[in-house]
Amino acid sequence: MGRRPLPPVPAIIPLSPPHLSFAMKSRILRLTVAVGLILGSALSTRAAATKLVVAFLPKSKGNAYFISCKGGAEKAAKELGVELLFDGPTDSNAAKQNEIVENWITLGVDVIAVAAENKEGISTALRKAQKQGVKVVTYDADAMPDARSFFVNQATPEGIGHALMDDAARLLNQEGEFAMITATLTAANQREWQKYIEARLKEKYPKMKLVAVRPCDDLKDKAQSEATALMSAHPNLKLIMAICSPGVPGAAEAVKQAGKTGKVKVIGLGLPNENRRYVHEGVTDSVILWNTSDLGYLTIHAGVALAKDQLKKGAKEFTAGALGTFQIQGDNILLGKPFVFNKANIDQFNF
Amino acid sequence: MRTEPQPSPRDWPTRLLRHEMLLLYVLLAEWLFFYFAGTTVNRKGVLVGFGTLDRQFDILRHSCEIGLLALALTPIILTAGIDLSVGSLLGLCAILFGKLWHDGGLSLPLATTLTLILGGIGGALNATLITALRLPPLIVTLGTYSLFRGLAEAITRGAITYTDFPGEFLFIGQERWLGLPTQAWLFFTVALAVTLLVHRTTFGRSFRAIGFSPEGARYAGLPVARRLALVYTLAGIIAALAAIIYTARLGQAKADAGTGYELFAITAVVLGGTSIFGGTGSVYGTLLGVAAIAVLKNGLACLPVVMRMNAAEEMAGLLTGALLLFALAGSVLPKLWAAGRSRRSPPSSP
Amino acid sequence: MNRYFRELSVTGALAIILLGLAAFAPAFFQPQPLLSLATREAPTLIVAGGMALVIITRQIDISVGSQFSVSGICAGLLAARGWPLPLVLIAAISIGALLGALNGLLVAGLRLPSIVVTLATMVTLRQGLNLVRQGEFVNLPDSIQWFGLSQAAGQWALVIFTLLFTVGLGVALRHIAAGRLVYAVGTDAEAARLAGISPQRVTFCAFVCLGGLTGLAAMMNLVQSPQIQPLSGQGMELKVIAAVVVGGVAISGGRGNLWGALAGLMLLACIAPALTHLHVEAYWEKAIQGGIILLAVMADGWRARKGGR
Repeated sequence: MGRRPLPPVPAIIPLSPPHLSFAMKSRILRLTVAVGLILGSALSTRAAATKLVVAFLPKSKGNAYFISCKGGAEKAAKELGVELLFDGPTDSNAAKQNEIVENWITLGVDVIAVAAENKEGISTALRKAQKQGVKVVTYDADAMPDARSFFVNQATPEGIGHALMDDAARLLNQEGEFAMITATLTAANQREWQKYIEARLKEKYPKMKLVAVRPCDDLKDKAQSEATALMSAHPNLKLIMAICSPGVPGAAEAVKQAGKTGKVKVIGLGLPNENRRYVHEGVTDSVILWNTSDLGYLTIHAGVALAKDQLKKGAKEFTAGALGTFQIQGDNILLGKPFVFNKANIDQFNF
Repeated sequence: MRTEPQPSPRDWPTRLLRHEMLLLYVLLAEWLFFYFAGTTVNRKGVLVGFGTLDRQFDILRHSCEIGLLALALTPIILTAGIDLSVGSLLGLCAILFGKLWHDGGLSLPLATTLTLILGGIGGALNATLITALRLPPLIVTLGTYSLFRGLAEAITRGAITYTDFPGEFLFIGQERWLGLPTQAWLFFTVALAVTLLVHRTTFGRSFRAIGFSPEGARYAGLPVARRLALVYTLAGIIAALAAIIYTARLGQAKADAGTGYELFAITAVVLGGTSIFGGTGSVYGTLLGVAAIAVLKNGLACLPVVMRMNAAEEMAGLLTGALLLFALAGSVLPKLWAAGRSRRSPPSSP
Repeated sequence: MNRYFRELSVTGALAIILLGLAAFAPAFFQPQPLLSLATREAPTLIVAGGMALVIITRQIDISVGSQFSVSGICAGLLAARGWPLPLVLIAAISIGALLGALNGLLVAGLRLPSIVVTLATMVTLRQGLNLVRQGEFVNLPDSIQWFGLSQAAGQWALVIFTLLFTVGLGVALRHIAAGRLVYAVGTDAEAARLAGISPQRVTFCAFVCLGGLTGLAAMMNLVQSPQIQPLSGQGMELKVIAAVVVGGVAISGGRGNLWGALAGLMLLACIAPALTHLHVEAYWEKAIQGGIILLAVMADGWRARKGGR
């Protein structure tokens, strides 16, 4: 099979050190080959895999949000009897996502489920996968529509944007300054949400003012320094809205340390577990999120159904195991309405 | 400045080639190991994994940019210099290329040419600071590392991503030409050119001379400043070429392109036997170093065991770091041992 | 004047920025945000002190970011298991010192180039940590927050300790024999050897000090928030080296001091909040930092040329 073109070997061998005799060299060579062969065969799993293989790509694999998605995905994989591969960059890195997808293609996986860090960038790799017969679904953040079959939509960007903005307006009585913290300025879904938040603001809340938007690179520490700077730069700031999950506890910690609990409110998209402490202390008023574990569960179900030809383009509904039936809008499978976690209900959730 | 004894001219090629031969064996063992352990037959009876031609070509495609940067760094490290800014310059050039083509409305060949020139200017900035003001390359390029990346972020405000490149441009990064991935031809051309420059011209010898002793080289009548300017400017141009290939491979130009690539490139060069103190090393070694790292990284991703731990990248990083330490320790331990022995048994002469 | 030109010029640049802020964005000077800024930068300053030591001996360590993450996560895990605070503190410092000793052994013992050694240990440690932890956060118990003090008291304690420590280290470096050894080795290792100093031993100690200080810094970072992220030290090496170099510590060894490093760090740390206050977009931050590093080394270059003639 594929012999990779090695660097210019012949240029080196004739010049090899004179004191290594030919016999000795060939012995080293034979030894090398033998070591490779023996170790290789010992670890080799040549038995043909019989299970469907589903590969699940998060934006960054340490992020608690995706870890809880993975929990649901594992549950679904167990139920359906498929093998689940979970891998992703440790930091949010678009180029690494492409490399991982290309690796999966040559590994011959059946389904690839992707949360896209960069919409256009990942699509080149996904189109290649589709060309080779791999089924592609996206979740959390979509790729280009032609690069996947379905997008498992946790909530429409419109729904998220409006929910956040309305919540902010409720807390501020529809007037005052607020600021936003996003993950990176390049992430497609963050930009989309931001767009709807700004549109809603313009349309319904003329007395409120968005004074700044800061990226936190999906790092909690960075979100904290950004929030600290925002509060001192804008003394009239009433609220910080963080639309990435590490941003909410980061902003809350900054508000708490600045002693402005209650004076500057924090809301955002975040996981109950990361924010529980701040919600109880009254620093963070509420966090909005969908059930991330269900998102993973639904994604795997959709991917497997696609591979088994049980889910086709144009379907109106999709039934995913224990979770029941979900609506399909165009090629978006809708997870449902976002949920608001606050002091009253946050202790009922553990993810 | 240098206090350690210089190896005799007849001695160093021997030592060098021994290192390269060892690396070649490591590469071979690595490749065979992954060939047998990382290839399987899937459900449909199709051969998948490391042993497929597609995978081999992917390895080549994924290592072109880092390979180019490593090639650019080899002559620099031979002169006892370093360039930390190549990864950032790659990012800046990718952005500039996107801007020239998308916003400037230039044709692709023109945008490419201008990007290569701008890359050269970036390299020349390093060169000027290093040669005209005689500043340490480590610090100068640490500054431009920050500066180039910062400019890339400032130009795009961190938000703009250039995409929608036409198919004939993406051909460079995603398709095959004459049986090989297109960018591999570009990579091999640059590799050949750098090999000729370093090993077959007097320039190469002057790089080594400068690396051994810049003062000595100056007294020997070599135009040290001009030679140094050459290697840093060349590195800028090669980084720009890598930026073009990167953009074509991913179909997007974004400010974070090439983050951290400089470290991989330096690792490949040093693993390939080029001394960080300058003076010794070869382009062949660098190519072997790049191949060893790329095969390790991609091979691990094909092993079922590693796949289940979903930790291919981390294990590759860990093993590359360990390999580098072993290579370094292996290169000095015999010398230290010999020195220790001669100290214990003092010469018996009167 | 001439001798401390670099330190004075950095302090001058810092003063200009602060005056500019006072004129155009007086809101910058509020005690609480400034205290928060100082608290967040305190761990970096501690590492910068150690880095100055290593650079003065004409070495460099680019693995501090990884050391910082590893000691921070290890200490965090111990704390989460209920170890008492003093023991966690000792463990953090020892782990840091141990990692520093590994670098020191390879650099001083085997005489390997420090930049490559620490490049290798940086990659190995970071990827090893990612392999084991998969990027997961560690949740910390409440008891170690701010060393068990109230928040304000904890912040003041950290800042004051850091300043006292830096001053102490700076004085020790100048006036205690052991400190002067560091300069001796960095200026001319061969001369130092002939004078009866073991350059190897001094270099090794410098690396161990840097490692221990990095462990201490990781601990100081740990107590500031209820969670710790494995990425916490990423990019720290460059920030610290930049601060030390901008502050006038010469990469060629033997020159520089800690108050220069302090001014350099303050200068770089002020840029991000200053941009926010002046309502300049944050994207320029990195470019401006790069520009400052280049200006600082160019100042060195010009002076060296003038002095040489």
